[in-house]
Amino acid sequence: MTRATTIWKKELRRELCTWKSSLWLVIASLLLSFTSYLLLTNKELSLLDQTELMWLLSKVIIGIALLVVTIEASGMIAGEFESGTAESVLLTPISLWGFVKGKFLSVLTLWAMLFVVSLPYIIVAAAGSGETLAFLAYAALLGTLVVIGFTAFVFALALFFRSSKNTLTTSLVVLLALAAPALFSGTLKSGPVLQTMSTINPIENVFAALDYILVDAKFSLLSNIQYLVPLLIFCVVTLLFLGYAVRTVSRQGVVQHE
Amino acid sequence: MSRWSSLLVLVGVLLNAVVAGADTAPPLSLRILSSHTLNGTAGDYVTVHGTITDTGDAALSDITTYLSLVDTEAKLPVDLEDWSAEKGQYIGSMGVNQTLPLDWKIHFVKAGNYSLTIVAQSGAHDLPCVSPVTRFVVLPKVNLNPANVLPVAFLTPLVLLLLLFLATRIRKVEE
Repeated sequence: MTRATTIWKKELRRELCTWKSSLWLVIASLLLSFTSYLLLTNKELSLLDQTELMWLLSKVIIGIALLVVTIEASGMIAGEFESGTAESVLLTPISLWGFVKGKFLSVLTLWAMLFVVSLPYIIVAAAGSGETLAFLAYAALLGTLVVIGFTAFVFALALFFRSSKNTLTTSLVVLLALAAPALFSGTLKSGPVLQTMSTINPIENVFAALDYILVDAKFSLLSNIQYLVPLLIFCVVTLLFLGYAVRTVSRQGVVQHE
Repeated sequence: MSRWSSLLVLVGVLLNAVVAGADTAPPLSLRILSSHTLNGTAGDYVTVHGTITDTGDAALSDITTYLSLVDTEAKLPVDLEDWSAEKGQYIGSMGVNQTLPLDWKIHFVKAGNYSLTIVAQSGAHDLPCVSPVTRFVVLPKVNLNPANVLPVAFLTPLVLLLLLFLATRIRKVEE
């Protein structure tokens, strides 16, 4: 784990200590500022129930997190292979697993930072509703689960593709494919095939769970089990996929011969 | 001649009776038990309690009830998509003098004046049966907390920019 921590610290220094690499956090906060101000002061939007405003804000936070995590994770591992630094790092006592773990921790740190930035907005939006703690707890839990699943998926793709461009394109298309049905209303998903897809779609599960928690005030973990179990399965499946990718790359060797 | 005219009158009466039968409403009584004027603020939930009774001398089948909401200012019907999760309730069959409760949870989505009726129709009748009108006055929701959101919306990006600036400076000094 110490070796993974070394990679994690190196990655964080690279990601956060320059203007260029950290500007996304400021832009994300500007987006959250604009969204929360609009939701709380716009005449038409402020007619909505407060819990629905909180739900909209939670969707924006998770949406930004998924986009940032997908883009960052696409370049983290594939970039090392492209620039040829992966070989040098893996010549040191750091194993491929340690390398991936370190990168994984830095993606989770980026999500944690985005969540910290969104805290004041969550507190302001939930003020007086009595749901502030539930909002914070479930946004953190559901966001972390979906971020873990997506990061594992993107890292596995990056290990197979070893190209930032291909990894980013595929990951973004998958993200879009999963996010698009989540924006449709329930009446458009009436058939058994669409209902099954809704049940296994992690983004739909996150949005539906937040709706159930914030709008319908169902706070207990047990009452949200129908959303949490598919999310946990998604995490397990993508982590297994990542494990398979690491094993394959370890077996084939890091250096690929043309 | 009088026999022919009597026959024509009889046929006319019979035809009239047939046509009138086709255009009758089911013998149902729809009542709204909750207040006939409901006031609230946008975002509030209210439950409209009602009953449906078969007042005829025969059982009725294939009965469906649904809400009809009209914006009385815009003079337009309202799409119930966000207002009520249950737009219609299928009753099925009802026995003679049987009374069933009808409850609708309604979410006030937008400020304005509205009129609501419960409508029932049966598969064997061509006309629907309508309840008396309940009127809603939905007041606009006062903005939640613009005084609190403004400082957060302005200060958070500024604080982040400051932290970013400090982090970059510290790194340059260390190098």
